[in-house]
Amino acid sequence: MTPATAAARDAPFAGPANLALYLAVAFVAGAVIALQIALMRVFAVGSWVHFGSLVVSLAMLGFGLASVIMCLARPWFDRHWRGAGGTALVLFGPLTVAATLIAQALPFNPVFLVSDPSQKWRLLANFLLYLMPFLAAAFFLGIVFLKSREAFSRAYFADLTGSGIAGLGILGAMYLLAPEAIIAFPLLLWAFGGLSWHLGLAERRGLAALLAIATVTIGGYHLLPGALDIPAIATSPYKGVAYARNFPDAERVYRNVSPFGDLQVYASSYMHFAPGQSDNAAFNLPDLPPNTFVGMYIDGDGPEGVMRALDEAERDYFFYLPSYYPYVVKNEPETFVVQFGGGISTMVALAAGAPRVTAAIGNPAVLAAFRTDPLRDFTSDLVDDPRVAIVDYDGRLFLAETDKRYDVIDLSLADSVGLSNPGGFAIVEKYTYTREAMLDYMNALADGGILSVTLWNKEEPPKSILKLYATISEAAEEFDPATAANALFVASSYLSTTTVLYKRGGFTAEEIDRLRAYTEEMSFDEIYSPGLVYEASMERDVLDDYRQSIFGDGSAAQPAPTPEDPTTEGTDDEIDDGDATPLPSVEVARLAWRALVSHDWPAFADAYLFDTRPLTNDRPYFAAYVKPQDLTRTVDRLELFQDEWGYLLLWATLAIACALAATLVIIPVVFAWRAAFSRTPGKAGTVLYFACLGLGYIVVEVGLISRFTLSLAHPTVSASVLIAGMLVFSGLGSLVSARFTDRARTVMPVIFVTIAALLFAYGSLLDPLLGWIGTTAYGWRLAICFALIAPPAFLMGFPMAVAMTWLARLGKDEMFIWAWGINGCFSVVGAALVPILATAFGLSAVLNTSAVAYLLAIAGLFALLTPLRDRATPEPA
Amino acid sequence: MNRRDFMIGGAAAFAGSALLPRRGLADVPVLYDWRAMPPTTSKDIYIAWMVTNRGEDPDLLGRRYDRFEHMVGHRDLFTDRDKRAFLMTPREEFCLEKNLARAYDRDFLDIGYGVTISGPNLVGRMTSSIDVQRGDKVLEVGTGSGYQSAYLCNLTDKVWSIEIIKPLAERTRGVYDKLISRGYTEYQAVTTKNADGYYGWEEAAPFDKIIVTCGIDHIPPPLLRQLKVGGIMVIPIGPPGAQHVLKVEKKKGLLGGVRVKRSDIYRGSVVPFVPFTKLEGDEIVGTHNQ
Repeated sequence: MTPATAAARDAPFAGPANLALYLAVAFVAGAVIALQIALMRVFAVGSWVHFGSLVVSLAMLGFGLASVIMCLARPWFDRHWRGAGGTALVLFGPLTVAATLIAQALPFNPVFLVSDPSQKWRLLANFLLYLMPFLAAAFFLGIVFLKSREAFSRAYFADLTGSGIAGLGILGAMYLLAPEAIIAFPLLLWAFGGLSWHLGLAERRGLAALLAIATVTIGGYHLLPGALDIPAIATSPYKGVAYARNFPDAERVYRNVSPFGDLQVYASSYMHFAPGQSDNAAFNLPDLPPNTFVGMYIDGDGPEGVMRALDEAERDYFFYLPSYYPYVVKNEPETFVVQFGGGISTMVALAAGAPRVTAAIGNPAVLAAFRTDPLRDFTSDLVDDPRVAIVDYDGRLFLAETDKRYDVIDLSLADSVGLSNPGGFAIVEKYTYTREAMLDYMNALADGGILSVTLWNKEEPPKSILKLYATISEAAEEFDPATAANALFVASSYLSTTTVLYKRGGFTAEEIDRLRAYTEEMSFDEIYSPGLVYEASMERDVLDDYRQSIFGDGSAAQPAPTPEDPTTEGTDDEIDDGDATPLPSVEVARLAWRALVSHDWPAFADAYLFDTRPLTNDRPYFAAYVKPQDLTRTVDRLELFQDEWGYLLLWATLAIACALAATLVIIPVVFAWRAAFSRTPGKAGTVLYFACLGLGYIVVEVGLISRFTLSLAHPTVSASVLIAGMLVFSGLGSLVSARFTDRARTVMPVIFVTIAALLFAYGSLLDPLLGWIGTTAYGWRLAICFALIAPPAFLMGFPMAVAMTWLARLGKDEMFIWAWGINGCFSVVGAALVPILATAFGLSAVLNTSAVAYLLAIAGLFALLTPLRDRATPEPA
Repeated sequence: MNRRDFMIGGAAAFAGSALLPRRGLADVPVLYDWRAMPPTTSKDIYIAWMVTNRGEDPDLLGRRYDRFEHMVGHRDLFTDRDKRAFLMTPREEFCLEKNLARAYDRDFLDIGYGVTISGPNLVGRMTSSIDVQRGDKVLEVGTGSGYQSAYLCNLTDKVWSIEIIKPLAERTRGVYDKLISRGYTEYQAVTTKNADGYYGWEEAAPFDKIIVTCGIDHIPPPLLRQLKVGGIMVIPIGPPGAQHVLKVEKKKGLLGGVRVKRSDIYRGSVVPFVPFTKLEGDEIVGTHNQ
């Protein structure tokens, strides 16, 4: 072998014929991101998606771990890159399949996370299993970067572009592959990556071996579950759909998989829905016959009740539902249903005499299901009823722009059946319930029109309903301060539902009388009506009692009077004693309204044990009720917060991510200090630089996914658009940055300041813009969103590529590989930080945090560019 | 075999096998007596009495007694009848083998099919608060493990219980039958069926008390109709282990009609949460997590 060929063999990325190798990088990087998204689908369908976020985001620490090991043994990896890289690459596929299968055989059950110690170990096992494939991919990519360090910007371009395109690709794959088969997509990308790698290196034997292994792996993924009797996805028996499957006569009558979810419809005589129905229906209505309902499940969650078209004689049923409220005072109203859900609100409107109903169906999969048999037939073609017009995107976006005016705008119980989710709820944006959305609805009301919002009221102490009350009250005040107090009527039913009515222009006394009479007839509790005078002297006690009930030490425990108490015995007990002593949750709701209309709200909110801040487009969450100062006090009573586990898990993820990231950063400092770093100046600055980059980048990406949901209307689409847009444009930025590498000292500070300026601007200006974009055609929405992402993303591709190239040029090889790991670790920390920042401070604070991180990176830049002390190296301008 | 059948079959096989082997399957030595009250002067005396009269495992009896003291301390058991009901019900017989060691923990436990057996404190409090009198007709919707109805059998001799999940209904029926054959004659008071509890049990109605333990978005109207005027229905709301129990009372209205009143089992007082504590002797120390 001549010295020249030996050099070429050792510097595989230097020659002209290495396109195949860059393709390999792109495919493998794509496989990593596709596997991340695919695993989230698996978790969403099998258990709960937020546990998927925990496992997957922590598994990404595999990149930090690989970097630490490579940093400690850098010369070995430099010498044995072929064997090590090839092995890591080939292992990715089998490890993925093994992890998936074993995880399904070892399902962990979040329901028992607190009570059953073995569940914590199962969760840890899930994490370790899924860490393995990411670790293998990390070694492969780390080795590639190490070997391409002189031409890092090109390799990085391939890495980012491959990831971005795969992010878009898996969106398409979700149309073709059900969740139990979705991992085939990352496996295919991996197989292509392996082929390209061996082609690029002209290794025929490796090529043949990889082909064989890939075939066996993908075949195994497809066949092993059946052969080994392991479910392809072990659905938790506590998921909604698992209960439907347990009904003796249950039959799945429809299934459709798409990026909009795994939508399944089950028919069974055991399905009964009447969301919030008055108890009095029992004595005034005949029962609906069996098989009146079917249940719709998305990703195993639900059911959402779908009802057959009722006969004339059966229609009194609607009268007993709380969504009937607006029709008590409105005759023949032009009606808009903001969330179609399972269609019951639309049926209520038609039964109550609405001549026309416009209903919005934001999820295309749901619309398709209602247009296909059996649902089309079952609902007598409800969505294409001549009296019904369908808006096929978010009702909120439609109402924000339309010139039409409606007599009734209904927003009822479309989110879930309101049964508590034993695994807690994921933190998701509810833009439909924000103050801005309420203002849009109020604005779309005709004169005298009524906005009716019904929400589940199943929490004790109340949480979400207080946020709803604050939100609507604030919007009413802003919309028309003169009429606000007269324009609201609120009722609720204990541990069932609450309904808030807003009438544009204010209610008349006669209308209020009718609403009160209806409330009485239904045995609902009146919470607020105009002119309410409510004694507030008990407020302090009620609020203190509630705080004690959750955060007390039990010393104040004074359980209920026992039945031996003579006042509770005897025949008098059989006679209704009226409403003399309202329940605490009713009392607290009334006190809340008193505070809202008399502008005492800040004091009330401050004294109440949970966060009651209104929902805004900047902070659109029915979540994060535990005030930060109380977080540590939840630890010994976690079962009281089961519905908040999604949120509490975020804190756990952040804590674990910080601890692991810190450990991974420190290990090389401890073990490689003398050998590798003692001659390397600017270590602290370099760490700061890459930490800021890792954190800043991911914070923008994840933060914008939440933001863009406002106009793209679906989180999966938003995630794909953002991942693809950010990574591809950053890849281009990385490629272009090579031209500026020599002038890093002068160019990079300008780039950083521009990035920060853009992010600050996006933080404050994006909201109205995204609202407007949401009203344009979907193609335009996608195009404009990509255009919006492009400028910051392009520039954000510069800092990593330029700095890594300089570390390589300066001969800081250990630092080079360590820096890449730090970047990876802080990406994990950043991803965990975003939802916490968003729920606490709002989405604009997320972008501002990233802007500050990019500004801080400037300080690290100059330290990073300091040359080694005993070596003559080129210096940047 | 399709996947659903596999899952259900697999779960049934698993759950069935888990229940079979039990130590100390001795017959109950002394005939059930409504007047017999286990002594509570000390743990040892209680265990000795129970071993003599009921033939149960001393180790588990010790744990039952510890839990009993804890529940009395937290006022989950109101009357002597409630205390007796708890002390006489062998909770371990209704748990899966894998959870036997935790049968008397405060936590709810998995029993398969996405169903749990509620924690003893909650069962105690809920049952105490509906004040079941001997001779009351009680309907349970959601048989589950069977523990709740077994507990009720020590308070009344008329219990009906409906389970929607067929294999679970059959399994629990088997548990009762086996216990009855071993001498737990009090469980002859339970009549079970596998059906949709939404429609109640028309042939046996009306009921004095109804306990509903299944999630639904409204109270089934047939159940309200099958409740006597003056009767009480309780429904735990929230995730497993929920602390809140909806209480529904059917009353005469002032004008003679029927009214339904919702409240909670604590009669309107806010329930203070008491952290997981464990008893050492008579002292409550630390939490189970420590």
